[in-house]
Amino acid sequence: MERITQAIILAAGEGQRLKPFTRLLPKVMLPIAGNPILQYVVEALAQNGIRRIVMVVGYRKEQVQDYFSSGQGFGVEINYVVQPQQLGTAHALRQARELADDRFLLVAGDNIIDPGSIRPLVNARSNTMLIRTQEDVSKYGVVMVQDGLVREVIEKPLEKISNQVNTGIYAFNREVFDFLDDEVKLTSVIQRMIAQGCDILALETGGTWLDAVYPWDILKLNNLILSRISPSLGGTIEDGAVIKGAVSIGDGTIIRSNCYIVGPAVIGDDCEIGPSVCIFPSTSVGNGAVISPFSIVRNTIVGNNVLIGPSSSIQDSIIAPGTIIGSHFAARSGEAAMMIEGEYHQVKMGAIIGSYSQIGDSATAQPGVIIGNHCRIKAMKVISENIPDGGLVV
Amino acid sequence: MCGIIAYAGYKECQPILLESLKRLEYRGYDSCGIAVRVESRKSRRGRINPTPTIEVYKDVGRVGDLAKSFPQIQGLKGGGRGTPVDGQDARPTRLQTPGSGLGIAHTRWATHGEVSKSNAHPHLDCSGRIAVVHNGVIENFQSLRDELTREGHHFSSETDTEVIPHLIERYYDGDLEGAVTRALADVRGTYAIIVLAAGHKKLVAARRESPLIIGIGDRENFVASDVAAVLDYTDRVIYLEDGDIALVSEGSISITSRESGRGTPDSRLQTLDYRPVQREEQVIPWSLEEAQKGGYEHFMLKEIHEQPKAIENTLSGHISLIERTVSLNVRKEAGLEDIVLVACGTSSHAALIAEYVIGKLCHLPVRVKVASEFNCHEMALEKTWVWGISQSGETLDTLRAIKKARTLGCATLAITNVPGSSITRIAEQVFYTRAGPEIGVAATKTFLTQLVALYLLAFSFASPDIMNAEGLIEGLRLLPSRVRQVLDGAEGIIPHARHLSRYDNAFFIGRGLNYPVAMEGALKLKEISYIHAEAYAAGELKHGPFALLGPSTPVVAMATRDDTYEPMLTSIKEIKARGSQVIALAEEGDEDIEQFVDAVIRIPPIDPLFSPFLNSVALQLLAYYAAKERGCPIDLPANLAKSVTVP
Repeated sequence: MERITQAIILAAGEGQRLKPFTRLLPKVMLPIAGNPILQYVVEALAQNGIRRIVMVVGYRKEQVQDYFSSGQGFGVEINYVVQPQQLGTAHALRQARELADDRFLLVAGDNIIDPGSIRPLVNARSNTMLIRTQEDVSKYGVVMVQDGLVREVIEKPLEKISNQVNTGIYAFNREVFDFLDDEVKLTSVIQRMIAQGCDILALETGGTWLDAVYPWDILKLNNLILSRISPSLGGTIEDGAVIKGAVSIGDGTIIRSNCYIVGPAVIGDDCEIGPSVCIFPSTSVGNGAVISPFSIVRNTIVGNNVLIGPSSSIQDSIIAPGTIIGSHFAARSGEAAMMIEGEYHQVKMGAIIGSYSQIGDSATAQPGVIIGNHCRIKAMKVISENIPDGGLVV
Repeated sequence: MCGIIAYAGYKECQPILLESLKRLEYRGYDSCGIAVRVESRKSRRGRINPTPTIEVYKDVGRVGDLAKSFPQIQGLKGGGRGTPVDGQDARPTRLQTPGSGLGIAHTRWATHGEVSKSNAHPHLDCSGRIAVVHNGVIENFQSLRDELTREGHHFSSETDTEVIPHLIERYYDGDLEGAVTRALADVRGTYAIIVLAAGHKKLVAARRESPLIIGIGDRENFVASDVAAVLDYTDRVIYLEDGDIALVSEGSISITSRESGRGTPDSRLQTLDYRPVQREEQVIPWSLEEAQKGGYEHFMLKEIHEQPKAIENTLSGHISLIERTVSLNVRKEAGLEDIVLVACGTSSHAALIAEYVIGKLCHLPVRVKVASEFNCHEMALEKTWVWGISQSGETLDTLRAIKKARTLGCATLAITNVPGSSITRIAEQVFYTRAGPEIGVAATKTFLTQLVALYLLAFSFASPDIMNAEGLIEGLRLLPSRVRQVLDGAEGIIPHARHLSRYDNAFFIGRGLNYPVAMEGALKLKEISYIHAEAYAAGELKHGPFALLGPSTPVVAMATRDDTYEPMLTSIKEIKARGSQVIALAEEGDEDIEQFVDAVIRIPPIDPLFSPFLNSVALQLLAYYAAKERGCPIDLPANLAKSVTVP
């Protein structure tokens, strides 16, 4: 039997828990180390010889299509199908029915996967679920396995019944479409298949698999991707700038004198950095960003076209595209109790700042605050609680 | 405008020509056709005819329909709509041998003679052994036609083009290149032609004032009017220059020219004195990917969404926020005292906006001239700097204006998107907008990037005290993200577009910097949605057009919060008093405006100097969704062509 050459990628989701970023971007397009999460998924598939891709898009689909277009630039051929309402994974899969091969892979567009993890799936003959053993299983579907077959999938169990979780990556035969019916969630479909005597193999992977659910996951993904980069220096680097470790600098970027940059770090195209700016691991800077003199940035994602004023200090933070920050801004890192969609989480975090906001000179953001999109914060303010989209702090 | 493509190579040419014609569809056309040279074939009685012949297929309508008239192309069912018109066979013939590797093709945008099958190209001589495709206009075609008719030549179309194959036939004695040379010496006007003859394995191509390029492949070569036609196959091209004649075959390209250099008087074009020349090969930085729709419903929507990236490309390497400087490779010679911007259509709107910006920042007298109205007599010549703005770099009116400016001693600068295009060879200096290929006929990203280029130029000639002011470079730096912000809000524009689509007339009004933006918005709307739209300076409305206002004529008003805001509110109140619906483009947070108008399209806050960028993008979306609501063919509007290369 021939190997699988097609993948269906679920890329329609909104990502409720990743607001404010996902108000303007679909979750799969969140930039990690300069590229959207989805690009790493596509690349991992392409490395396994899967070059025909059906992308199920929905929420803010233009951005996905804009970026990936026909797929040619990524060495794959992409066809798009639209899931108008994001009801669930099974509903998303149903949209791809017309374009599916007899055998195909199904992957989530918002997980970073190791290309090696997919390799055994490509030769799978029967329906197969990729599973993984890990410590924290609380936010995943836990899988009960018997004789190498999936017996049951239990979503987010309260008790720790097993430490094997469903990665949401599958190899399927076309017959899966016969079981979709009106189910919304794929795990219900899996249960139905098992109940009707249809075997689903459980294939364990030890490779990397990271999911972006909460804002701090984005920094974890960023760390992971940055740990793999190889150094490449484009643009102009003035005399007196120090660059250590794996640092990638894009075309048209200028690193001015006296900057001190320690990798792993990625700096995009057409940026202006310095003079006298410090960038420490693991930092990603998007295209067209400006970091002004005497600023220090550490373990942070700076989005496209973000302007950071002089003498600012930013750590463990995420700043979304198009935001303007004045001089002497401080985003402090520390233990914080963050409330996401009604749940509290204790994490170490700096600030989370949405797109197109303006932050005045000498403002300070306390650890873990979330500043929305289109916010305006006057000079000298201390932000100690979350600011909703469009919020004013005067 | 018309599109030309020809193939000489080892592959069967029909599928390649048809695919390439499709790549040229965006230029706008009404009919199309192809001619191929067939080495030998079986006649209906089964005898093999060893003499090569030419077969022509052409029709009114789309390239896709033309394909149906080729029964011999694998995978395409014979539709029988088109018929071979080589005069020897009345019915389509199934080729028994593989087709030929030599052929020419054409999409026609009618200028001389109505839209009909007989007027479609290629055109043949009397013997049916010489076929020609042509872009441009032959000015003396009537007298040539009379002369040839008296000599016994038979014409089967109303076109100016048809005189060319007959002239070639007149001079043909076995030397095709010689015959073409002599034929062209008789012709006055503009042309890009490709000649295919049954007795030759080479194509002859020639140009004068109409673009023509050669695409260089491996054991195959192409000739085309446009790089987009050959991007599927190669990115290596040679731009032919005026007066060039090229011989192109599967394995060779040779070019001769009768021009000794730039600025040669026209009279020399009538000589027969040709010398071999070397033309530089260029590599086109565009990928085919960029020229594909990539999941979007229309090229126009794709290109609207590409604007943030396109602006980044235009700005790349030119600005420093920290130093507050703009660095360009354009020099302003000492002693230049005023600037004249020449352009057509959308480019002229970019020029009109730039007129304000340059005037404000550079303290230089600056004027805009529509290229076809360019007249050098009114200005101080040696001290004038003429900037020609043309997306394609092939807009004939703009090319002529720049040529004229040069002969009159003006300094010249070209602002264009297409590397190597004609305007780059005519003007002394060039600034590239780097927008990438634009396929939709309605200009979007090429307009915005022209505007970025003009702002960059204005900033680079502004005095240091102006550049030291806060906000100017920051404004440029922020442009990509602010434009993206408008795109993020596209859904909010759809209801307004739906509303607008129910009317047959609309007014667009602006003041100051945003008056040309209103003009561009009206142009976009009428181009693609066929809603009749007129733009007025808001203050001009009461000097006449007021008579047309009323409930059936909505008004789109640019209510940017700069020093034109108060007078604009006055104009809006006057309009409301006549019962027209008013849709205002106003900044987010401007709540005052709501009490005066019926609907508000929200624009992200930005320094008013940069408001034309955001307002233009909002108006593009308004036009796009209005046209979509009306079911219009957005990428191929009726009667329009992408780049206008005829006078």
